[in-house]
Amino acid sequence: MRYIVGYIANERGRDAVALASTLAAHTGGELDLTMVLPQAQPPAARVPSEPGYDELLAEQAEEWLKEGLALVGGQLPAEASVRYAESFAEGLIQEAEEEQARMIVIGAGRHGLLGRYSIGSVASALLHSSPVPVALAPRGYQAHPGLGRVTCAVGTRAGADNLLETAVDAAARQRIPLRLISLVAVGAKGAAASETSTEQARTHARTVLEEAAARLPAEHEVTVEVAHGDSIEDAVEELQWHEDELLVIGSSRLAQHNRLFLGSTANKILRSLPVPMVVVPRNYSPSGGDGAARKNG
Amino acid sequence: MSDATHVSEGHELSRKGLSENSIGLIGAVAIGLSCIAPAYTLTGALGPTVREVGVQLPAIFIVGFIPMLLVALGYRELNNAMPDSGTTFTWATKAFGPYVGWMGGWGLVAATVIVLSNLAGVAVDFFYLMLGQLFQNPALADLTNNKPLNVFTCLVFMVIAAWISYRGMQTTKKVQYVLVGFQLVVLAWFVIAAVLHIGNGTAFDHTPVSLEWFNPFAVSSFTAFAAGISLSIFIFWGWDVTLTMNEETKGSKTTPGRAATLTVIIILAVYLLVAVAAISFAGVGETGVGLGNEETQDNVFAALAGPVMGPFALLMSFAVLSSSAASLQSTFVGPARTLLAMGHYKALPTRYASINPRFRSPGFATVMAGVAAWLFYAVMRFVSDSVLSDTITALGMMVCFYYGITALACVWYFRREAFSGARNIVLKFLAPLLGGIMLVVTFITTSVDSIDPAFGSGSEIGGIGLVFLIGVGVIGLGVVLMLVQRARHPEFFQGETLRRSTPVLNLDE
Repeated sequence: MRYIVGYIANERGRDAVALASTLAAHTGGELDLTMVLPQAQPPAARVPSEPGYDELLAEQAEEWLKEGLALVGGQLPAEASVRYAESFAEGLIQEAEEEQARMIVIGAGRHGLLGRYSIGSVASALLHSSPVPVALAPRGYQAHPGLGRVTCAVGTRAGADNLLETAVDAAARQRIPLRLISLVAVGAKGAAASETSTEQARTHARTVLEEAAARLPAEHEVTVEVAHGDSIEDAVEELQWHEDELLVIGSSRLAQHNRLFLGSTANKILRSLPVPMVVVPRNYSPSGGDGAARKNG
Repeated sequence: MSDATHVSEGHELSRKGLSENSIGLIGAVAIGLSCIAPAYTLTGALGPTVREVGVQLPAIFIVGFIPMLLVALGYRELNNAMPDSGTTFTWATKAFGPYVGWMGGWGLVAATVIVLSNLAGVAVDFFYLMLGQLFQNPALADLTNNKPLNVFTCLVFMVIAAWISYRGMQTTKKVQYVLVGFQLVVLAWFVIAAVLHIGNGTAFDHTPVSLEWFNPFAVSSFTAFAAGISLSIFIFWGWDVTLTMNEETKGSKTTPGRAATLTVIIILAVYLLVAVAAISFAGVGETGVGLGNEETQDNVFAALAGPVMGPFALLMSFAVLSSSAASLQSTFVGPARTLLAMGHYKALPTRYASINPRFRSPGFATVMAGVAAWLFYAVMRFVSDSVLSDTITALGMMVCFYYGITALACVWYFRREAFSGARNIVLKFLAPLLGGIMLVVTFITTSVDSIDPAFGSGSEIGGIGLVFLIGVGVIGLGVVLMLVQRARHPEFFQGETLRRSTPVLNLDE
């Protein structure tokens, strides 16, 4: 299973390598550090651009990638590639499609200001168009020998079967506990309304729990939690998070078939989430869409 | 599997998705025209050229193309011989060694920095002019004469253009095509409107077209002639890009040649039609919108578009503003990359060689080019009476300087194979030699003449012409910086980073 790391030679790139190392640790995955460079030909101008520049840029990229490979944890197999594309997101998606990758991993940490994530233009473009799940590493993420728990945000409404499938698959593969969460913002609504929505969330969560339990081996640990707060951000903070945990979340209903789109709830979760997050495209199927796994048996 | 974690030394990483941006004939022509930005070039160059050569403007535009053509033929040979290393800096270093190579690179960077400041200056003028036309309030157009505000607006434009370039974003080809088409339509409109005025007898100062306008020998003096040639070099500057686009043009080897020919036919037609229409409409008198009026020579369309096109002058403002703004942005790429290459070969402090990790662009070099261009503009705005025309005159000199060096580098580089066959004699020897000599003579003549405080627009400092101070000052500054760099980091100058070389003699050719 291949993990495409959108590598940039800065803190975000290091965060992404650390997360990809953690994700791939128990799954026999391999990392593909990809550096995207602008298409070589700039628009023509009065003064021709120095053609030697393209070679210098490629050399620099390779040097950066070697530094990046040195950051890969454990004994994981890893390789590096330079890809030319119109944009960073486009290059990563091409790489993911060509290599039939399981996931694209990028650093989305905010460096310098408040908050752990900032969805910059790159992450945003990726979240709008990636056909495979996108993992976002928070600021300063440290590699772990493996994941300790998978948490799946199941929402309060039905749908998102494929999301549960992805989360169950990840938990089963790594033999780690699965936690299902449902987040309820009670802020603006009255007490009665919030009672109702909390109750709805509970009912829905129990249904999902049964479904998950049915798909997992009998002894596998599955729990469910309903968290509420004045806002989604508060609800997220109410929950306990382990350092080696991963949140799996579905992409918005607005998304095109098989494409990601970060919904408003997911955006709010990001603001207070202390752990990495994987956004799964609508209708994505880990078994069907993962050509690499099929190929390698 | 586990030993694959590290890429072994010298291992070539895969590079994927590198597309040959193939473009057809029309695309190549559009790019060539877009490099020249005819609306911007004409508004800047018409005035100063008329000041030098009067009604012989069309003649000088035609003659000025000759050295440009000769040099470009040599360029093409260098480009074919060394496709991976190649603009003035590397070519001249390989031919003449580090010192001439350094100065060639400096000439290119300086010319680009000066044109950046001029592009921004023109954009500022037309920005306020367009505001004035939009709100029908001439007071808004006059704001450009407020020096501090003008310099500040220029700073804003410069920062935006540099920022876009710093972020590694680029104008798409589509935008370039649209802007070029728009410029051509507006320029055609200008010509037709001028002809209609002449027909109706409503021209400002109708001057009947005469064959004498096309006679270069009717130019009053060699000084005027050389100054005119220097300006003509500026108006064709960028045309040679079409010749060296061979890597990316679709299909046959003949496309670049055809594109270059078609480009120059269109550009000459546009220049001649506009020049003839403008002179015929406005004359070369020194009052009103006459092209000889020093007040309006700086920026001809700003003064002339209104009387010629009436309310549609707004379109001209928009055409010039958009073309100079787009050029401003795309022109940032060139000097930044040359500076980066110079930094890489230790011809400049290594900071210039740094690539921004986040945007993967030559960050420091881009910022420095922007700072230099803005400072140059700010200083010029305060010391010169007609900043744009003085800048363009100096710019013509600077282009002659580095094109001349490049042409002679071509002759020297190919000296061993130049006489093997008629084609080589013409393209690798005669054409670049003649073109190079013409440019060097033009450069030297203009430099000497510009010492005279009355030269050009008549701006002077301490009895010395401003154009001379800029031209020679910039080159002198280059010499000083070169010596400083040599004292600190002699590697480049000792030939340790980029060697002098000549092509292997190949008699089979």
